[in-house]
Order: sequence, then C-alpha cells, then structure tokens
Amino acid sequence: MWPLILLVLAFASSALLAQYQRKPPDFGGTYTFPTPTHPEPRASVERALDMVMLGAGLGLGAYLILKRRTRAGVVLLSIAAIAYFGFYRKGCTCPIGAIQNVTLALVDPRYLISFGVLVFFFLPLVAALLVGRVFCGAVCPHGAVQDLVLLRPKKVPERVDRVLRWLPYVYLAVVVLFAGWGLPIVAEGGKALVGRRFLICEWDPFIGLFRITGSFHMLAIGAGFIVAGMFYGRPYCRWLCPYGALLSLCSRVAWKNVSITPDKELSCGLCAESCPYDAIHDFQADRASCVACARCYDSCPRHVKLRRGQPVALKLYRRSQAGTGVS
Amino acid sequence: MSETTTRRQFIDRTCRVIGLTALGGAAGLLARRASAHAVFQVDPVKCTACDLCRTSCVLSLSAVKAVNEFSKCGYCRLCPAYMDVTSQPDEKGIPSGKVCPQDALKRRVVGREDPDDPNNNYYEYTVDEARCTGCGKCVKACKPPAGNGSLRLEIRYDRCVGCNECGILVTCPSTAIVRVLTPGLSPTAAPGGEPHA
Amino acid sequence: MDENETGPAPDATGDAPRERVSARWLPIASVVGAVGVVAAAVLRPGGAPPAAPSAGSPGAAPHVPPPAQPAPALPQRYARTTVVVGPGKPGEFRRSLSGLALGPHDAIYALGDDEVRVFEGAGRLARTWKVPEKATCLAVASDLRVGVGSSGRVDLYSDTGVHSGGFAAGTRDKPADVTAIRLVRDEVLVADAAARVIRRYDLRGTERGVIGDKNKTGGFMLPNRSLDFDVDRSGVVHATDTGRHQVTSWTLDGTMVASFGKFGMTKPEDFVGCCNPVNVAVVPDGSIVTAEKMVARVKVYGKDRTLLALIGPENFDPMCWHIYVAVDSTGRIVTADPERRTIAVFERS
Repeated sequence: MWPLILLVLAFASSALLAQYQRKPPDFGGTYTFPTPTHPEPRASVERALDMVMLGAGLGLGAYLILKRRTRAGVVLLSIAAIAYFGFYRKGCTCPIGAIQNVTLALVDPRYLISFGVLVFFFLPLVAALLVGRVFCGAVCPHGAVQDLVLLRPKKVPERVDRVLRWLPYVYLAVVVLFAGWGLPIVAEGGKALVGRRFLICEWDPFIGLFRITGSFHMLAIGAGFIVAGMFYGRPYCRWLCPYGALLSLCSRVAWKNVSITPDKELSCGLCAESCPYDAIHDFQADRASCVACARCYDSCPRHVKLRRGQPVALKLYRRSQAGTGVS
Repeated sequence: MSETTTRRQFIDRTCRVIGLTALGGAAGLLARRASAHAVFQVDPVKCTACDLCRTSCVLSLSAVKAVNEFSKCGYCRLCPAYMDVTSQPDEKGIPSGKVCPQDALKRRVVGREDPDDPNNNYYEYTVDEARCTGCGKCVKACKPPAGNGSLRLEIRYDRCVGCNECGILVTCPSTAIVRVLTPGLSPTAAPGGEPHA
Repeated sequence: MDENETGPAPDATGDAPRERVSARWLPIASVVGAVGVVAAAVLRPGGAPPAAPSAGSPGAAPHVPPPAQPAPALPQRYARTTVVVGPGKPGEFRRSLSGLALGPHDAIYALGDDEVRVFEGAGRLARTWKVPEKATCLAVASDLRVGVGSSGRVDLYSDTGVHSGGFAAGTRDKPADVTAIRLVRDEVLVADAAARVIRRYDLRGTERGVIGDKNKTGGFMLPNRSLDFDVDRSGVVHATDTGRHQVTSWTLDGTMVASFGKFGMTKPEDFVGCCNPVNVAVVPDGSIVTAEKMVARVKVYGKDRTLLALIGPENFDPMCWHIYVAVDSTGRIVTADPERRTIAVFERS
C-alpha cells in the first residue's frame, strides 16, 4: 500500500528536485542511511471488518427487535455499536456522511467512491425496505447516544412537530446541493467562497464526542443535542438526520415491521404513552417514524415476558385456544 | 394464499420492489466505478508549509508531521531547519535560535566523529512526532535553495482518523492535500490520486 | 385467561419492576458518561484545535532572509555588461544549463540541453556537439581539448567535438558523483561528491591520487552533495568545502596549504546559509571568485583573502542552486545562471 503513496510522493518531490538529486555521500564510520518509517493506513481486512460488523449489527438488530422483541437486547447492541462504530472507528465513515459521497459520485464521474462507503450507504436502506429502521434502533451510534441519555421524555406539541418533521428533508436537500455542486458564491478577490463541502461532516453533533476532541462549535452543538436528548427523545434523528429521511421513505413500505402486541391489540394506549418518539399512531407503530428502540414491547400488557423469553400472554392464549383452559 | 391482499399491501409490495431495484441499480452502477479506499496525503510539490495543517486537522494534535527523507538530507552541521540561521551566533559562531517552536527536530552526530570540533561533524536529523505539530516551519526553511528540501509534511496514518472530508483539504490554500486511492477490496481498484471536488 | 385483562399476567416473575428500575440508571449513567467525554474533549491537553487558522502566507517564494546590512563600500565594483547567452539569443538553452568553462582565447564553453556549445565573440555560436545525457560539468584544456563529466564517467573530446576517449571515474562499487572537472597538463582532476574527494587521473583513467582526504572527516563536508574546484597557475587546487563554509587550497599531492572563509549571515565576507560557497573560480592574479546560493551572489576575494567586490543577488535568480563562474584572461567574470539559463559577463567599472 505504501509503495503506491510513495509513488505519488516520490514522483512529486523528484519533479521538484530533479536537478538536485545526488547520491548520498559516505560519512565514514559505520553509518547506514535509515529509511523514514511510514505507518500504514487501515488495512483492507479492517475495512472488510467494518462492513461485516454493519451487516451483523443489522441482522442481529432485526432478530432482537422483530423476533425476540427485547429492549435489553437492543440496548446492549446499541452500546456495542457506540463502542465500535462510535469510539473505535471515531464515527467515520458513517451512512449519514455517505450521502455526500454517493451524491458526489453520481454528479462527478471522476470522483472514485470507495466500496466500503457504498456498502455503508446502501445496506441500511435495503434493510429498511425489508425490516424497517433497524439501523436507527440498533446500529447507529448517534441514535444510540441520544437513546441512552433519554431521561424524561416530553411530548412535543403537535404543531411544532409537524413543522420540524420537514427539517430532515430540507437538510438533505442542502447537503446534497453542497456535496454535489457547492454554492457558486463569489466573494471578494474573485474566489468562489463555497465550493463543494461535506456539510454533514462539518456539523455532525456527536463526532466530537467520539473523537474526544473538536472545535468549539462542534463540541457545543454536541453538548446541546445531548442536553436536548435528555428531555426530547432523539432530537437529531427525528428533526435533522438526512439519512433518517431516506430511511423513513424506505421503511414506509417495509416488508416486516415492529408489531407491538404479540397477538391482539387491547387499545389500552400504554404503548403510545411509552413511546418517547411519538411514533405510535392508532396503537400501531408508524412505519415511517418508528426507530425500532423496542421500548413499546415491555409496556404492552400482552407482552410481559418469562425468563425464557416467550410472552406469557401469548402462551396462555394459545393454551386457551388449544382447550386446556389453564388460567 | 391470503385473501387480505389489500390495496395498501399491493402498493407496499410494488414500492418495495421498485425501491430494491432502484437501490440495487444505483449500487451496481456506482460499484462498477468503485475503487479502493481513499486516504489523504500531502503533495510535497504544492505544499507551501503555511501552518494551516497544524490548525485545520480535527485532532488537537494534528496528524500531519514533518518527515525527513534521509536520502536527500544534507546532514549539515548548520541545518537551516534546525537552527535559525539569522539568530544571534553564540561564542562558537553557531546560531543559537531554533526554528522549531516545539523543539521537535532532534539531531545526533553520525559518521566519523571529530571529538574536538563539533563543526566537523555530520548530523542526522529526526522529527520527534510526539512534539511535532505540523506547523511546517522546518519544511519551509529546508526548501531549496536554502536546504536540500528533504523535510516535507506528511499525513501520518497512525494518527489520521480518516475523515470523510479532510479538514485540512478544505482550508489548504494551495490544494496540496490529495486523495490517494489505495488498492483494496474492489476489483476495479484504480491507482493514482486526484483532488476531491 | 380473561381477554380483557389489562394488568400484568400473574405468572410474571417481576420482570416489569426490574425493567423500570433499569430504565432509570441507564440514562443517568449515559448522561454522566457523555458529559465526562465532552469535558475531556474540552480540557484535553492542547484542547480543541486552535480556533482561527492563522493567516497563512501561501507565497511560493523560498524562505530567504535578506542580508542584514547593506554592503559596505568595497574596493572594486563589477557591473554586468553583456548577456552572452539567454532566452531569445542564438544557441539559447531550453531545458538545462549545467556547466561553464572558458577556453584559452576566452571562448565560452557551455554545457546544457545535452550538448556542449562554444560561443565566441559576443555570443556567436561557433560549435556544438552532443554529450551523454545527464552530463554535469565540463572543462577546457589549454590545448582546446574538452572534458565532460557525468555520473561515474569522464568523456574527452577534441577541440572540434570528436570523442577521443573516456573512462569510468570512482571505484566499481562506488561510481564517482562527478560535479566538477579540470584538465591540468596531462591529468584529469575530477570532483567526486560521493566520496567527498578530488580524484586525479591520467588521460587513460588510471588513478594517480586523491586530494582532500587528509583531514578529520576523511574528505570535504558536502551537505549539498556538490563539490567544485579550480586550479590556479601554480597547480594549487582551490576547492569549495561547503559544509565548513570554507575554500580550502591543496597541492596536487593532497597537502592542504590554506583555507579561508567562515559562516555568517550578516557580514558580506562571510558565507551564508548551510552550505556555501557552491562554486569557485581562480583569477590569474591570484584572487578567488566564489558563488553562493540562498542569497545568490558572487564575490571576489583578493590574494590576501579580503573581500574586494560583491555582485549582488539582483543579478541572479533567487532559486539558483549553483552559479557557475569563470574568469577570462582580462579579468572579466563570466557567470552562468542555471535557473534563468543565461550567461552574463561582469566587468570592473
């Protein structure tokens, strides 16, 4: 790998110093010329591991959310996601940022996009078409951070929510515009002030947290979202995340989705009260806005679990149907 | 066969199929052009050692370090990157000021050493990366014709986080940060570098 | 079971109360953790990266400190009188200019563009012939033979450019890095920058001796990897010891007889920068002409090695790595600027 980079560097520097090239002199004594060390960038094995972890996270998340229906499992998985995709990988490259890479690759054929970035962009979308926003609930470290700090969910007034719900799409449009074309503003000096920029990367609230360093504005935004996230569930996910906008479009027509009650609805509304994200309408999970956090399962009276994980109510119901009549 | 294939379900199914096809098509189209992973590196020809590498990297201690290409280094006793040649000379006539504000450029005597006269020796210059901030003062001082141009700024991959958009690339006034594509997982790996955007 | 049951089923093992308890400590722990990480990010040594980027100076000009004082009044003054070779003139060099020598009748021999070009009069191109690629230096003997040095090799030509011989310079496992050459009587003197000495050969290539290794470093100190020298009438070799900022003088058998010069950035008679002077030429009356880089200038030192004249940097390209100098029989200084690819003549005024 380094031979390639060295090729670029050597070609560049030799062009500069072509006339100054000389063989090194002999100093006498026992000196041998050291070669400068060049640490390698991430090996392709590690990049493959990222994709495997993403796929495993999505698969495991789908299993835990839709099959096992356990909130504890989802919490553990999201902590693991924060550890790996957040602190270990420092949040880069993420599917949210991949929007920009894909936009740029579609707009400019000279921009060569990396394979891993493509996987990170398309795999959660495909998963959303199949099993809903499992990515949001189980894998995305940004969502996991907000989900974990949620202390006391308050409901946002309906009118405000109705307006804020459009922000992700607006942000998506702005981000696509900047990533693909930039703004042709010409400032003083005749230089284009804003060329192509990756806005998501520059204004990401949580990346300062994962890198444990950052400029003042990034850390301030991050702290702000954490504070907001303590009281209003997942503010970034609901009202800003552009990838969430894409995921919600896909999960609207998902094949399998969160069904709160294992057997039948009681219309008690306990699930809607427990959902911090206002994603339950008509006692069903709203496929567009449900982020698969798995909180609703445990509030459903039909869903209280035994240690072996099977809902008691379901078991009893089935037994009653089979005619044993045990109560 | 379920008798409750409602219109809603039909629309859902159609949209799913269209969505999967669209995603698959776009993915396939881009995957044909997908090459290897990109890393960022400094082009030493364009680099003017302007100090922005120190401040624009997202890390508090920049991932850009000065690197000495030993095969080009002159091993001068009066290295213009090590000592500030315009500073006040001491009693031996050697300038006393140092160029590096962090004192990150270290030197040791190599070769046949003259024990009586330090001016007779060659010195090997190495960069202490724990101290180097990537400000580029030594790189600037080593540029021809003052020096051999063996010092250059380089992004060190054991420190670089690998951001999607390199913070330094955005601010570099001489477009000296280039994307270099590394061979990797894709079969269409294309070598060579090109600037982003 | 009654289907209208709304409370938890009686067989529940208390999972519900446990879930409620854990629902409290987890967000609190997460908030504390998040606050801790943000605090660590802010208070980390070095802190956040410096907020505003300093106004970088992206100029491409090299970092060249100006000489501290204006040159004091010197005994002699030189002014440029003619540009013999340059852009637009006959025989102009398009790609490179890497060597300069003067013939016995003050013809200018220049090496560049893989050719030797001989200019007579005021720039008339008289002869030209091809030489090996990457030729680095040339010399003219008193009988008009021409010697051309390239990496590891010396080639000899007649006065009309007919190749009349050549030999390998240096040792087999260490070819010479030839940076200067002189033809003295029946010998060829070759500056070997790799071994940091001057080698003496006869015309067939048999080595007769080495000059410059009888010092504490076993050779010249050459941080800029280039050695230049000139031979005066009495056979004394004056060589640039660039790492020591000196011009050292040697007899042909390798004994050092004199040296002068020291490092300094302020006084005009000192040599600036890390490795100077880069070129040297002798004047028939015993004076020495030196050329420096970084502050591109040419100086004339008298027989007693006091500074007689200074031809300032306004006459040369600031990026010059060398300024080839030679002195003709009337004392005019001929300089070759490899960056601008011009050959100019300076006369005393």
